[in-house]
Order: sequence, then C-alpha cells, then structure tokens
Amino acid sequence: MTDANVTPDTELLLKAQKRRNAWLAVALLAFVVIVGVTTAIRIQETDFSGGDRLYFSGYMDEAASEKADREAQARIAARQAAEVEAATSTAETTEQGDE
Amino acid sequence: MSVDMTAQKTAPRLATARDYVDLLKPRIMMLVVFTALAGLVAAVGVTGTSINPVLATVAILAVALGSGAAGAINMWYDSDIDAIMTRTSTRPIPSGAVPKDEALTMGLIMSALSVLLMWIASNVLAAGLLALSIAYYGWFYTMLLKRRTSQNIVIGGAAGAFPPVIGWAVVTGSTSLDAWILFAIIFFWTPPHFWALSLVAHKEYKKAGVPMLPVTDGAKATRFQILLYTLILAPVGLAPLATGLGGVVYAITGVLLTVAFIYFAVKVWRSRAGELDAGAVERKLAMSMFAFSILYLFGIFAALIIERGFGLYFPLGGI
Repeated sequence: MTDANVTPDTELLLKAQKRRNAWLAVALLAFVVIVGVTTAIRIQETDFSGGDRLYFSGYMDEAASEKADREAQARIAARQAAEVEAATSTAETTEQGDE
Repeated sequence: MSVDMTAQKTAPRLATARDYVDLLKPRIMMLVVFTALAGLVAAVGVTGTSINPVLATVAILAVALGSGAAGAINMWYDSDIDAIMTRTSTRPIPSGAVPKDEALTMGLIMSALSVLLMWIASNVLAAGLLALSIAYYGWFYTMLLKRRTSQNIVIGGAAGAFPPVIGWAVVTGSTSLDAWILFAIIFFWTPPHFWALSLVAHKEYKKAGVPMLPVTDGAKATRFQILLYTLILAPVGLAPLATGLGGVVYAITGVLLTVAFIYFAVKVWRSRAGELDAGAVERKLAMSMFAFSILYLFGIFAALIIERGFGLYFPLGGI
C-alpha cells in the first residue's frame, strides 16, 4: 500500500505494530498448546470410575468424599482379589495337568 | 496493540518488548514465582503428595502471569503518581511508551488467563487464591489502601504473601498451618522491607501525595516500626522449625539471616535515616537494609527448596 501520507514515522509505527502482533500470535498459540497439553495430562491422571472430576476434583461434602474413597478402595480390593483367585486357579489347573 | 498518539500527556515513543516486560514488574514477579515454587516444593516434601512436573510448571507459569497482570493493573492506576516521582517516571506508561488503556486491557486479560490456566492445571482452591491475590493487589491495595492510609504496606503486604499458599494448594488442594506460616513470614517481612526503601524515597512520596509512613508519621516513627516488625518477623521466620517444616539447613540459614536482619534494623533505628538532614551514609544504610531484606526472604525460601526439593531435610525434632 503506497500512500502519500505514509511518513517514515508512521512506517516505523506500522512495523512496530506488526512485530507486536506477531508476538501476540505466538503468545496465543503457546496458550492453546499449554491448555491442550495440560488437559491431556489431566484426563490421563483422572480416575473417572473413582468419582474424580476433571476440573473439580474435590467434594464440597466431606461424607460424600469419604464414601467415594471407600467405594474406590473396595473396587480396587475386589479387583486384586479376583486377580489372585484367577492366578491361583490357573496354578491349580496346571498342577492337576502335570499329575 | 498500538501506540496511542493522542492519549498521552508525555511525548509518546515507540514501545519495545522491554516496555511490556517492565509493565509486568519482573522483579516482583521473580520473588512471587520463587516463593510460590518454595510453597509447592515444601508441600510435596511434607505431605508426600506427588504432582506431574508439567502441571507444576504450568501452575507456576499461571502464578507468574497473575503477578504480571496485577503489576500491569497497578501501573495503569498509579500512572499519574508514577509520572510525578523521579524513580518511577521512566516506567512504560508515564514515559509514553504504552498507552494507559492498553496496560489495563493487558492486565485484565492476563488476570483471566492466569486464573483459568491455574484452574486447568491444578484445582479450584489454587485458582481462587490466585484470583484473590490479584484482586487484593490490583484493586484493594492499589485503589483503596495505597493513597488512603499509612498502613497501606502493612495491610497490602498480604497480597505478596499469597504465593507460597497458592503453591501449597496446587499440590494438596488444601492449605495447612505450614502454608500459613510461610504466608505470615512474607506478611511481616513486607513492612520493614518497604519502609527501608521509603526512608530514602520519602520526599518523592510526599511530592506525589502518597501517605507512606515516613511522610505521615516521620522518619523516627518509621525507624521504630521497622525495628518492631523485624522483631515480630524473627520468631515467625523461625516458626517452620517448630512445626517440622524446616530442618537443619533451614535452622542454620534462618538463624543467621534473622540475626543479621535484626542487626540491620537496630542500626537503622539508631541512625538518622529518613531525616531531612540525613547524609549519604544514612541513605546507604537504609538501602543496605532494603537490599538485605530481599536476601533474607530469598535465603530462607531457598533453604526450604534445598531441604524439601533436594532430599537434604534433616529434622530437628519438630512437633
């Protein structure tokens, strides 16, 4: 764009403005990347089956929090017991097969 | 962003990247980030709760952004008195590099982004505390306290005391006595730190009409208050030893720094620093105390990071 009103001063201003806009674009891009990466990590770390929530992991009600903890622990214990039982029965089957 | 050619009273000049960095008060930001990091590291060490390093980094970044945002809002509101005082007349707004409205917009947008980022990276409590500290500094201290009362620094000091509590909340989702002890250390450290500077800059504050203690109550009363707050700070600064937050490294660092801080406070109290007839020696003494106070805060928080972050914690037999 050539304009008779464009003086060296305004040219400098426009250049400075362009430079700032570029930095702003970089900052916005960085923000988007940070939010994306943070969200991905939060999703990976959240145990939704245990009652966790992504952006509000706490409970306003202490009793509800303890109940959710107990239920999550019971689920883990049941899963571990099932794994042990499965391993034991596999071992027994193998032993019977050997005999 | 643009250079406003009409709104500035001072002849505008082209803003550089440095001007925008200065608008965020980078030196305050460094101290804020450092104390928040100390709170975060201490929380990991004390509670044994782990935190993903990426999330911890993003949370600290959010604290830095929030600090910068509050700084920009402060510079926007105080640009009239900054233009009067020689020490602050070269700041981005009074020097004509950054238009006032632009600084405010930047501060508000950064405030929102920092709180949002903190929430995404950690939890509601940490985000809420960050929002509270930005509002405390940007609105409560800057707009309500600073120009109204000589106790501005005392009450306003809480704004700078929040970062270690925020760091703690990032890790645990709650706060504890230890976190509030770190808060109290910065809270009681702020008056002697800032009043030491105001003993040197009191004429400037008077010119700008800011009711700093040396302006309203005189230099003698200020020197006494510096000593008083330093004596209150001494046990508060060593309180982490009582709760077991600090170990041997903290004990050695804390005791040495506390003794030296009291030494400076007594010397300033006995001097004529801040008086109209005060000479270069007195001014140098007040500035030395100001500089040492920064070293004090840096030293004790660094001791916490070293102990809790690098596995060098050896208990003294705390509670």
